[in-house]
Amino acid sequence: MNLEDSHEGIAKAQYMETKGGKGMKTRYANPYVVGALLGLVLLFSFYTMGRGLGSSSSFARIATAGVNLVAPGHAAANPYYAKYLRGGRSPLMAWLVFLTMGAGLGGLFSAFISNRVKGEVIRGPNIGVSVRLWLALFGGILSGFAARLARGCTSGQALTGASELAFGSWVFMFCIFAGAYATAYFLRKEWQ
Amino acid sequence: MGPLYKFGWFDFAYSLQLAGLIGVLFGFLLERAGFGNARKLVAIFYLKDFAVLKVMFTAIVVCMLGLLFFSVFGWIDLSKIYLLPTYIWPQIVGGFVLGMGFVIGGY
Repeated sequence: MNLEDSHEGIAKAQYMETKGGKGMKTRYANPYVVGALLGLVLLFSFYTMGRGLGSSSSFARIATAGVNLVAPGHAAANPYYAKYLRGGRSPLMAWLVFLTMGAGLGGLFSAFISNRVKGEVIRGPNIGVSVRLWLALFGGILSGFAARLARGCTSGQALTGASELAFGSWVFMFCIFAGAYATAYFLRKEWQ
Repeated sequence: MGPLYKFGWFDFAYSLQLAGLIGVLFGFLLERAGFGNARKLVAIFYLKDFAVLKVMFTAIVVCMLGLLFFSVFGWIDLSKIYLLPTYIWPQIVGGFVLGMGFVIGGY
């Protein structure tokens, strides 16, 4: 299995670009190469664990751990929280919680080797920082709510579910595109 | 035969370490593709940059074919894989609202 070799190959090629461009930000990797490698990582996850990737439920688990800390009676009585408290383990000792933490580290490492680690608010040229941040908060609340409503986000439902040809996951994925394209026009100033 | 965990090849504690490792690979690859940049992610909805589509669908096709071949070769028992259940209305509404949140917040 030369998954590791290919990773290093991409990293190395981009590092050389960085040196040539005097610390300039490097180009992103080829999307088809990344997609194929991502498919192999997903396949590896299925082969070893019998399940795919995801992230949104780890935030539900962190919320559960917090509620359980300050109001254990309420957490146990609420069916949504109680689901994560079963089994006698901390709600944080779970597959997706560790996977999400790893994803954060992996992303940071990737950004680090390509000189992309810096403080900035990414936005279009026609919008102020504070408006962008309020929109980010509002959009984040919407996305978080929606991901739990649909039992998954773009990783857990769209990517994983689509790979196993789960009907609901394909419906979910096309509804994401529908919702996003329907909204995009009204927010063009935020990004364009 | 896979999934290895379901056939008792390793225990829960080891599975969490594996989750961390798979997570690192996952996050690394997403950042490689440029998914750490909100503007690049949202650009697909302005028909400017289709990297999101290319990465996602390539991954889906590779994994789908991999699962199929693994199953045909007898390397994986597909009945032991967690199949995401369909709850059609929550998934329709959730998908639509997530799409709105995606563009508003920049994911």
